[in-house]
Amino acid sequence: MSAINTKGNGWLESTGVLLRFCGRIMGEVYSLKVFKYFGEALRQCGILILSSTIVIWSLIFIIGLQCGIEGAYFNRSVGSPAYAGVFAAWCDLRELVPYSFGYMMSAKVGTGIVAELGSMRISDEIDALEVMGVPSLTFLCSTKLLAAWMVLPFVYLSGVGAGFLASYLAVVQQIGEVSSGGYQLIFWMFQNPPDLLYSVIKGMAMATTIVLVGCYYGYNASGGPVGVGTATAKSMVLNIVLVHVIGMLGTQLFWGANPRAPIGG
Amino acid sequence: METTDDYQWHAGRTTPVENAAIEFIGVKKAFGRNQVLNGLDMALPQDQISMILGPSGTGKSVCIKHMVGLLYPDDGDVLIHGESVPAMPDDDLFEMRKKFGVLFQDGALFGSMNLYDNVAFPLRQHTDKGEDEIAHIVNQRLDEVGLGDANDKMPNELSGGMRKRAGFARALVLDPDIVLFDEPDSGLDPVRTALLCELIQEIHAENGGAYVVITHDIASARRVAEYIAVLWKGQIVESGAATDLFESSNPFVRQFLSGESQGPLGME
Repeated sequence: MSAINTKGNGWLESTGVLLRFCGRIMGEVYSLKVFKYFGEALRQCGILILSSTIVIWSLIFIIGLQCGIEGAYFNRSVGSPAYAGVFAAWCDLRELVPYSFGYMMSAKVGTGIVAELGSMRISDEIDALEVMGVPSLTFLCSTKLLAAWMVLPFVYLSGVGAGFLASYLAVVQQIGEVSSGGYQLIFWMFQNPPDLLYSVIKGMAMATTIVLVGCYYGYNASGGPVGVGTATAKSMVLNIVLVHVIGMLGTQLFWGANPRAPIGG
Repeated sequence: METTDDYQWHAGRTTPVENAAIEFIGVKKAFGRNQVLNGLDMALPQDQISMILGPSGTGKSVCIKHMVGLLYPDDGDVLIHGESVPAMPDDDLFEMRKKFGVLFQDGALFGSMNLYDNVAFPLRQHTDKGEDEIAHIVNQRLDEVGLGDANDKMPNELSGGMRKRAGFARALVLDPDIVLFDEPDSGLDPVRTALLCELIQEIHAENGGAYVVITHDIASARRVAEYIAVLWKGQIVESGAATDLFESSNPFVRQFLSGESQGPLGME
């Protein structure tokens, strides 16, 4: 028996309702039912690529510049400007690329999903889908999750590249206290392929969470346009908190026990 | 608090409906402390245009949502062609919904699609028809509702009346057995309401099936209704053939169908 509006009372019940809702969306993807609407998933891929990639890469590029500048000036202040690559390597790959990816995903994709689904809810479009015999949760939410999983790993990896390029430009071209070869020697020494994989996992965990939270608040929006606005704000708050929780847990899990820093041999 | 006086006008007089398309059996539904349907018994006939009439806030739209399984009763049962809607598993429910076409109050067109794609959507989802065949059906339906020249317009470029007609075209595109209209006259001027009512009659005459119109507009009821159920406080006051209801001696029904201010129905 399907229920259209599911909202809990109190934070504990609400959390349970949210988790169950997210479980249903993921279940539709894992059970492959979503592939019945693969065309819609491809349309969502197109929307993600065309409307979100440039802003995500732009923010990551700017953050990469900042990492490079901070690293260069800090290492100059302690008398080791050649080691600016250490700061850039860790700052970019492990922390600020995932965070800036999460911020822009929350601001652009998450709120976009809430606004789209919320307006569909209040104008009866979701009910219209249901009465046409189309399972709205699968058609609207699971397709978005599948699209995110298909597109965002590549967007993220490209974003990492944008961050690396920006840090290189800041340290080597702008500040210029270390040669290109010297910067790259240190930069690549302080990261390895598993680090990239862990970073992608962090980013994808954030992306999955943001899409699911956006779907929950949009799909269950009520109270007219004001209600959609409120739901958008709530989703943004929750997503920003969860981005940091995922970032913290990811760092602890992947690099807490072994930071993989080739210092002291 | 419900009292016996609340139901003193509910005559319980209903004409037996043979071959009912839709049946409500003792349906109760509450939202919080607001008891909207309170043991509703109602049957709507196949192959007729039925109207559920009643004052605002009496649960008419809630009835529609029960018919298509968007809401489930707290108690009682809803039968569509003899099958219980609340007892259906999800897959059967989605299959059963293909019997329905629903015209929502504002058309509920998909804002991201133009008019043509809105009407074509059910065909693309539920049939294996090619684009040429879909185009033929969609254009035919749009012509029927007078929107043949507007198929590339987006919903936000349409007037309220056009959105309703477009929603009607979409509701009809799968040739449904049952078509539900949720206040098709709301927000329309009297002339456009009359034109829409004529359209409903014409298309019903062509296609047949059970048409159920939810409204509180008596002029619309006089124009198109063949069967009427008057709903108040979650129960049927009286139901039967439209001609009988318009001659009813029940003071509530008489007041409501004549639109007079004097009578059992007040502002409360």
